[in-house]
Amino acid sequence: MATAAGTLSQPYEESSVWSWLTTVDHKKIGTMYGISGFVFFLIGGFEALMIRTQLAVPNGTVVDADRFNQLFTMHALTMIFLAIMPLGAAFFNYFLPLMIGARDVAFPRLNALSYWTFLGGALLLTSSFIFGGAPDGGWFAYAPLSSEEFSPGTGLDFYVVGLLILGTSSLMASLNFAVTVINMRAPGLSMMRLPVFIWMMLVVNFLLILSLPVITVALIQLLFDRNFTTNFFTASEGGDPILWQHLFWVFAHPEVYVLILPSMGIVSEVLPVFARKPLFGYSAVVFAGVAIAVLGFAVWSHHMFTTGLDTVPQVVFSASTMAIAVPTGIKIFNWLGTLYGGNLHFNTAMYFAVAFIALFTIGGLSGVMHASPPVDSQQQDSYFIVAHIHYVLFGGAIVGIFAGIYYWFPKMTGRFLDETQGKLSFWLLFAGMNITFFPMHFLGLAGMPRRIYTYDSDLGWDTWNLVATIGSYTIALGVLVFLVNFFQTMRKEPTAGDNPWDAATLEWATSSPPPEHDFDVIPVVRDRDPLWYDRDHAIAKPERPAELHIHLPPPSYFPLLIGGGMLLLGVGVLSHLAVTALGVAIIVYSVWGWALEPTD
Amino acid sequence: MASNAHAAEESHGSPLGPKQYIQITIGLGIITAVELAVSYAGLATAVFVPILIILSGVKFAVVVALFMHLRFESRLFTQMFLFGLVLASAILISLLAVFWNDPSDALGGGELPPLEGHGAAHQLFLGAPDQL
Amino acid sequence: MAASEAAHGEHHASAGVDNRLLLMWIFLASECLFFGSLISTYLIFKGESLVRPLPDDLFDIPLTSTSTFVLLISSFTMVLAVHGAQHALPKMMKLSLLATILLGLVFLGFQVYEFRTFGQEGLNLSTNQFGASFFVLTGFHGTHVGVGVLYLSSMLFGSMRRNGLGKDVGTHLEIAGLYWHFVDIVWIVIFTVIYLIP
Repeated sequence: MATAAGTLSQPYEESSVWSWLTTVDHKKIGTMYGISGFVFFLIGGFEALMIRTQLAVPNGTVVDADRFNQLFTMHALTMIFLAIMPLGAAFFNYFLPLMIGARDVAFPRLNALSYWTFLGGALLLTSSFIFGGAPDGGWFAYAPLSSEEFSPGTGLDFYVVGLLILGTSSLMASLNFAVTVINMRAPGLSMMRLPVFIWMMLVVNFLLILSLPVITVALIQLLFDRNFTTNFFTASEGGDPILWQHLFWVFAHPEVYVLILPSMGIVSEVLPVFARKPLFGYSAVVFAGVAIAVLGFAVWSHHMFTTGLDTVPQVVFSASTMAIAVPTGIKIFNWLGTLYGGNLHFNTAMYFAVAFIALFTIGGLSGVMHASPPVDSQQQDSYFIVAHIHYVLFGGAIVGIFAGIYYWFPKMTGRFLDETQGKLSFWLLFAGMNITFFPMHFLGLAGMPRRIYTYDSDLGWDTWNLVATIGSYTIALGVLVFLVNFFQTMRKEPTAGDNPWDAATLEWATSSPPPEHDFDVIPVVRDRDPLWYDRDHAIAKPERPAELHIHLPPPSYFPLLIGGGMLLLGVGVLSHLAVTALGVAIIVYSVWGWALEPTD
Repeated sequence: MASNAHAAEESHGSPLGPKQYIQITIGLGIITAVELAVSYAGLATAVFVPILIILSGVKFAVVVALFMHLRFESRLFTQMFLFGLVLASAILISLLAVFWNDPSDALGGGELPPLEGHGAAHQLFLGAPDQL
Repeated sequence: MAASEAAHGEHHASAGVDNRLLLMWIFLASECLFFGSLISTYLIFKGESLVRPLPDDLFDIPLTSTSTFVLLISSFTMVLAVHGAQHALPKMMKLSLLATILLGLVFLGFQVYEFRTFGQEGLNLSTNQFGASFFVLTGFHGTHVGVGVLYLSSMLFGSMRRNGLGKDVGTHLEIAGLYWHFVDIVWIVIFTVIYLIP
């Protein structure tokens, strides 16, 4: 094999560490996303526990106001960008090629680059705790709080640079996945036969592709305001703090759907398998997902009803926000329709999937309430909103991700997670989640504002705050039981066959765990539920050929190098120009090597 | 088989040749010249702004359709690109609608004195209440 | 031919298009939002500057028109380079590519001159909202031109190697051309909306 002149030769080693660092295999990358995402989920959870411990009793003294601001900001950033998004990306990386009958994604090296860029950005953002204090302006970093004047430390700079790097990573991953879904499907797998999980992730990818550039512009403007003397968001100099809010929410509202749609997709895979019947109203679920995405771009100002919007925008954004409840409702009815009359098998994955429907519905309903501007101005910035988003993001996104973990674990490892411990973990998480977040509705209606670091005891908030804190420790216990389950299971012998759940989608047609080349023979799809169709029509699995001549993309050093270069570039912006120059030099060198590297 | 594949590759590109490209470039140059003429003609704003926007829209469309070969390519590319373009325009228009109709925005263009007295202008607006 | 097709049979294109072209088109859709946001910011801040200089104090329309024509001609040479690559005319391709790179550099030269002149006349990032939004918008457009110059230079450099850009040279140039033309159409919008409409 030819070596690119003047650059690194390609790695061939099978040794464990280098094979992971240089891998371009979507399953290994998915695994790395999953492990990193879960580690950051634990970090974000730890931050949440600190917050709840501080608020357990009136006049708490666990952390001071400054640290508290850093904690709630980083809790949101960690959970959104470093936990839920990468966990969704983990499943998508692992299962996208498997579910569409491909051998890998369209651009395997770009996929590896996305991961290393993500890891660099995540470490940079989290390291801010050590280097002079974490961002403390909320995850939305509203101006003028984010200005040099009111946030003189480096926290907000870590925020800007960290999010720019993470955005680059998400953009590369989304472009790659969108091309893969559109152009790499197995024979017979038309768009309207795609698994719903793939459809929802395709929608997520387009949401990211079209919304990330907007936050990129806003972050660049904030970067310039803080470091290069512009006044985009300084009102006294003619700037406009509201502009930041607009640009931020043009991105951040679609981002909310980026967080929830993957779990909707997972649940749409799990429910039919354990109800033993096809998904009810497949096309309606798909079109509802697309409609949510399109409408999702037309609702951003409902986060800004209290900023003095004119009447017409208030009415328009209120109406479009209420309209989004329609496709969401369609999905909920379709999931219920899938369960109705089904032969229900209640294992842990199914527990989580059914809990998702209930909890997400509660979060969705309180969401429609704020679509009305007068109601919203009562609830704005109160704990009611905290309750709402946690029902959507914990009750929805995280619970859906757990459903996916229990559902796909046998495929990824060949092992079953223990059901007894799984159900114990489920009940702890389910109870803990409701004990934590349901009282927040009451707290909000009783007037408790968000983001206050302590409160007096004569305000009538003591009881429910204590209850919420007890709930949060219950959640932590549930996660602990899951971790014990995970480590015990990984020591067991792999016993799962190719298709232990008798599921319908293509990933179950190959072995568990799948071979490096995914499929010995690329499957042919004849129906929306291909494996059930083949089973019912007695179509045998294609014979494994005696000799496999499968060409897989070779591993590469360059994704890791470019990812490192991007991290240096970001570090340089925060420290010294020389570091940036070094980062740029590494990137240029590596891109050149990348381009010349043979991929055949 | 081989010749078929070759033919497919040929038809993949654009049917246009250098001669057509020269004509298109001259056309684009003429439109730009017309744009310049219109902007210097001293027409009323309500007249020349729409003219300029239409002319630049034509240029935009010609470059995308002919130079970028979108007309000769898969319709999928058109859908992808148009989706981004339409969304960007929609967001731009709604943002402008929200900001330009804002009654609380007291400062407008054309209120600044000419550059010669710009020290005074600085004083005039220093500390002026800015509702935005 | 048929045998090598079969070896790559795994990569059948279910939408019948080239993966890399599709990637570039979707990326350009994303770029529409990027420049859309920058142009929105510029327009929102129109009339919000508290001090002069304003556009009518500074804009030199004949100068900017010249650089606009330079970019237009570069689009023409770019399309010739793609034509040369797709019709096995390597000399035409390399010369056109070189011309495109040089024209891109000339455009950047105009921009540097413009920025310097504006600076001397008292406009910088902190002067007023016009300065901030103008420099960031046109600066990021200029950055895109700069990246394009590097991109095309790497193509030219690559095409001079012994094996050239390989049998996929037409697609490589086509993708580079998409990027270059996009940067040009962004300038078409900027020139009209920012320079010509007062």
